[in-house]
Amino acid sequence: MSGETQEADSKVVPSEADTRGRYLYCVAEGSQETDLGSIGIDGNNVYTIPYQDISGVVHNCPAQPYESKDNKVVEVWVMAHETVVETARERLGTVLPLGFDTIIKADEEKDPEEMVKVWLKEDYQRLKEKLDKVKGKVEYGVQVSWDIKIVSEKLIGKDQELKDLDQEIKSKPKGMAYMYKQKLEKLMREKIGKEAERCFKDFYEMIKGVTDEIKVEKAKKEEKPGRQMLMNLSCLTDKDAKILGDELEKINNMDGFFVRFTGPWPPYSFV
Amino acid sequence: MEPVKEWKGRATLVDLLDRVFDKGVVIHADVIISVAGIPLIGVNLRAALAGMETMLEYGLMQDMDARTRMWEAQHRKSKEVSLRDGEELILKIFGSYYYSKGIYTAWKSGRFYFTTTRLFLYQQDIAEIVFETPLNKIKAMAIRSERSFTGKDRDIIYLSLEGGKIARVSVLETVEFEDKLQHLVEEAGVILDGEAALMEEFDERASSFLVDGEKIFCTGKIWHLLPEGGIMTDAWKPGYLYLTNKRLCWWYEFGCKIAFQVPVEEITGATKERRNLSTVLKDKEVLDVIYNGTGFKEVVSFSGKETEQWVNALNKTISMGGQTGEDRETETCPQCGRTASIKELLEQGCSMCGWVSPVRNKEVHKIKALA
Repeated sequence: MSGETQEADSKVVPSEADTRGRYLYCVAEGSQETDLGSIGIDGNNVYTIPYQDISGVVHNCPAQPYESKDNKVVEVWVMAHETVVETARERLGTVLPLGFDTIIKADEEKDPEEMVKVWLKEDYQRLKEKLDKVKGKVEYGVQVSWDIKIVSEKLIGKDQELKDLDQEIKSKPKGMAYMYKQKLEKLMREKIGKEAERCFKDFYEMIKGVTDEIKVEKAKKEEKPGRQMLMNLSCLTDKDAKILGDELEKINNMDGFFVRFTGPWPPYSFV
Repeated sequence: MEPVKEWKGRATLVDLLDRVFDKGVVIHADVIISVAGIPLIGVNLRAALAGMETMLEYGLMQDMDARTRMWEAQHRKSKEVSLRDGEELILKIFGSYYYSKGIYTAWKSGRFYFTTTRLFLYQQDIAEIVFETPLNKIKAMAIRSERSFTGKDRDIIYLSLEGGKIARVSVLETVEFEDKLQHLVEEAGVILDGEAALMEEFDERASSFLVDGEKIFCTGKIWHLLPEGGIMTDAWKPGYLYLTNKRLCWWYEFGCKIAFQVPVEEITGATKERRNLSTVLKDKEVLDVIYNGTGFKEVVSFSGKETEQWVNALNKTISMGGQTGEDRETETCPQCGRTASIKELLEQGCSMCGWVSPVRNKEVHKIKALA
């Protein structure tokens, strides 16, 4: 496997020697054989292989996965993958994106082109249903985080139980204050947990109202210290990004809350 | 609020990677050579971005595992076992054999091969026959459900082989194994003995607690009123009662341990009667054993079908009057190997070579120091 740095340079002309594989970018609508140009990974020529009214968007490659230990190389590959999917969406309409490094290989009897058709044929029903589902829709990423410190302070101001305990600490001698502090921290953790649950429900309802479908993803670790991710969603919508954006604006304007809003993405999370 | 989409910069690269590596249409076919998340690709990148923990959650390592297994499976295909001339393979079945040699014991797993002449377990990875027996040397078979170390019950098949050897095996399809074996040995002209014949010879459970020189007189499945066996209360629990030349003891099945024991010389009486054990367990056969406890007489109760047999066995022991005491038990001197009574060896030392028990030695030193 030649996943070396030189391949990151997209000017390298792909070898014609081994083309027993087809790298699949996405499945698109349309029955035409279309040439999308040399926009693929490592500058490979990307084209469509149609079966009835759907097509696989591919480039020719050896029957081997793309592998590299060099992060830069992988980044460039991944971006090329995304570029192809985006271009296919612009040129061909609705697309079902595939994950990185999905390669269909030839077997003893059939060449790789036929194998792509075989797959499209076998999965035709499923692919058609999915195409219908995401037709005219795009995906957005929504991540809501909060600042623990700001939220804690707000809670102390609001919650009587926490307020009392906080006041009590100030009147205690040092040793006792330490004990009370721990007690306060424990109670705070509980209250924050409840608050997070409440916020999640509220925000989810808000976003649900302006999108077609929501997928709840695993919350991730925040890079910024003191921040914590409350929710990580993928949202499918056919409406203008502004409608969802306005709703998210409301959340983002709340003290201590931060929204990350990314997209539009091909509907990776809904296929 | 406007969505960000500058994936050509670094701002949303993570979001892109999340999607491109873990999502998208999944192909359920064997025509593909790889799917997203192949471990070699961009592992560093993912690790740097997501942290190892997240990577495990995403299942990257599982892929690695699957790949390793696949490689291994492909490479071991070439090492099929070869059969002897005229021997035909009848059935292959996954299973394991309890291998024991000296202090080394282990369940070795592989495939059991039934052929026209023999039964053997073959480990493909190391191309080794772990266990092997001609079919006509199998004398008896018994199946018992036992609790394995994983806490699940599984069927253990005991095979008694010619020469008194016992093999313990376990397979996924016990019934199939049993049927096939029965059928094959019959063809080989052997009628298998059942449970009773085999279990007399072998008791794995007992071998874990019996001490040197201890012999079982009587054993059987029986219930015992275990003190505090229930939540805060006494409760009836299933287990096995053993009467040996040294003690009467009850093996608690769930606890996997001896939960009650009394030296035989302390047993003074045994009776049986039918009575109600609880509001649910009514009119049951109960065995009451009376023994000298700490200072006064105590009664211990068991319930089962063979109480009559137990009363007889216990009364026989009582009539022998504790003749099975320590003074009659012998041991060999650890230094010269002379056989002498345990009591004598421990208290006086060996009269031949002069060995003295370390415990006794310590006491002697203590006395000297005081003087």
